[in-house]
Amino acid sequence: MSNFSQNYERLRSSQKFQKQLSVTLRLIVAVFLIFFAVFPVLWIVSASLDSSQSLATQTLIPAKAGFQNYVRLFGLDPDYKFAGLDFKRWVFNSVKVSGISTILSLSITTMAAYAFSRMRFAGRVTMLKTILLLQVFPNLLALVAIYVLIFQAGEIIPAIGLNTHAGLILVYLGGSMGINIWLMKGYLDTIPRAIDESGMVDGASHFQIFWNLLLPLLRPILIVIGILSFIGTYGDFLLARILLTDADNYTVMVGLQLFTAGQFDQKWGVFAAGALLGALPIMIIYLALQDQIAGGLTTGAVKE
Amino acid sequence: MASVTYNNVVKSFGDVEVIKNLNFSVEDKEFLVLVGPSGCGKTTALRMLAGLEEITSGDIQIGERVVNDVAPKDRDIAMVFQSYALYPHMSVYDNMAFGLKLRKTPKEEIKRRVDEAAAILDITHLLERKPRQLSGGQRQRVAVGRAIVREPKVFLFDEPLSNLDAKLRVQMRAEISKLHQRLQTTFIYVTHDQTEAMTMATRIAVMNKGILQQLDTPQVLYDSPANLFVAGFIGSPSMNFFPGKVVVSGGKVSVDMETFQVQVPDAFAAPYKNMDGKKVVFGIRPENIHDPEFAPVNIHGEKVTAKVDVTELMGNETFLYLVSGKNTFIARVDPRSKKRVGDEMQVIFDMDRFHIFDADTEEAVR
Repeated sequence: MSNFSQNYERLRSSQKFQKQLSVTLRLIVAVFLIFFAVFPVLWIVSASLDSSQSLATQTLIPAKAGFQNYVRLFGLDPDYKFAGLDFKRWVFNSVKVSGISTILSLSITTMAAYAFSRMRFAGRVTMLKTILLLQVFPNLLALVAIYVLIFQAGEIIPAIGLNTHAGLILVYLGGSMGINIWLMKGYLDTIPRAIDESGMVDGASHFQIFWNLLLPLLRPILIVIGILSFIGTYGDFLLARILLTDADNYTVMVGLQLFTAGQFDQKWGVFAAGALLGALPIMIIYLALQDQIAGGLTTGAVKE
Repeated sequence: MASVTYNNVVKSFGDVEVIKNLNFSVEDKEFLVLVGPSGCGKTTALRMLAGLEEITSGDIQIGERVVNDVAPKDRDIAMVFQSYALYPHMSVYDNMAFGLKLRKTPKEEIKRRVDEAAAILDITHLLERKPRQLSGGQRQRVAVGRAIVREPKVFLFDEPLSNLDAKLRVQMRAEISKLHQRLQTTFIYVTHDQTEAMTMATRIAVMNKGILQQLDTPQVLYDSPANLFVAGFIGSPSMNFFPGKVVVSGGKVSVDMETFQVQVPDAFAAPYKNMDGKKVVFGIRPENIHDPEFAPVNIHGEKVTAKVDVTELMGNETFLYLVSGKNTFIARVDPRSKKRVGDEMQVIFDMDRFHIFDADTEEAVR
């Protein structure tokens, strides 16, 4: 007995043992969390390779694995009854809409933030607060209003009406602007005014100061806002679903939904394949710019 | 190269008037130092000249031209900022060339001027580096270099040395003085450090609370301060002040400090003869209070009894912190002085170098 309690005491006070114990516990928690994160992805990967097309009978390791779903997704299987749906076009639409709205959003927000941060004009604070206030209401609340707005705008200027990408881009721009202006302004505020003043004395105009001196310093936050905005618009379903009516104009998110619509339509596997491929652009962007994101989210928080 | 003139310049931020009716002119090729405690308006005065701050009323002239409404870039000035304000993403070369590029200066000319400025400042080997790869002192040089290449009419310096360590500051002080001699241009330099002002300036403008207190050469400022503020601000350790009262009796003038009395030598007594009973502030600089053992001969010495409170040995001199009744004061004495803490001693006030200020107006009476 005394031998046991001695052993116990020795273990309890052993630093090595304590360390091992804590590492083990942490590993268990990590494995558990990773499982939760990875399982849905594995399930989709498995579904995309499974040709049984049924959600109910699917197993993690497909009984009949193959690339049939991918073939069907790209309309290469003439026997498939949904071969008319153009997945490639949807991806193109998505990248186009997200790309354009990201670029426009970045240029507008950066310039607006420059004005808010560097210039003093009547109504500046009120405008900033209004922008913040508008941001509090989710787009979802204004769904009907947005629909009506775009519908009526289309009556006058068809190019930005319903079922046009331009209309959708405009709506995205309005939605993301507020928070981005605040983010950008916050970052700009951390860049010392002395740099602007030094530029002014050196002979730079407002635009030259903005373009030559400040924009290069804004790179980290530009990348962060750019990526967040791209992902946000790329992943949006609701607005695109409401404003786009023609399958040819659909974005990936709206298009894929067609595959999950009917109950016995045998499209689950194709949907999974589409979902995986549709995520690729986002993944590529993340991987290419991940260093910048990590840097961008923290730089500016503390002035060096 | 140009003179600079402030005519009745006022600056307010909202209701707060930070600069009250500033009038002075800086001559061509002069090195003028604007000095004062923080918040005295010296930096604002400089920024108005640079065009970074609007002038509420009055006008500022560079040369013959009123520049109130001229954009900073068209004023033909260059400025060195306290924080250096280098462009972080540009190399040292590009930092220095930026202003010239904006002015569409030919490439060869830019290169010639940058190389020349870099040589003057000894930063030629740093031209390819980015500001973050430079030490504080090197950044400082780049900031100065950026001003030099522009070959402006007036150089403005806004506390350029305050971010450097003490040793580097002394070194840069000398270099800026040298630069002024070499460039033969008007320099206007803002600092809160009276040592910088004394060592570099051809003339010093002392400001306090938005008002110009005195503008003169360093030596005049030191020897004949116009008021209590200037007297206390210029010189380190600063001048000792004793509240007192003028006593005139039998044609002799003396100042009564309650615990002691000093007699004003006849040669200086005239201005005080009709001030009997007037409240004044008596001022004397620490170096004019002597340990009797080492007191120079042939001075009008007045003995004052005091107790040593603290001694500071600097090596080349010794500061004695003395107490006499409710008055405390500092004497800068010979380092061989044997006086130590707690000693009662008689110190000698050199009455050839004293100052008397009106206690109400704080103006010097002489």
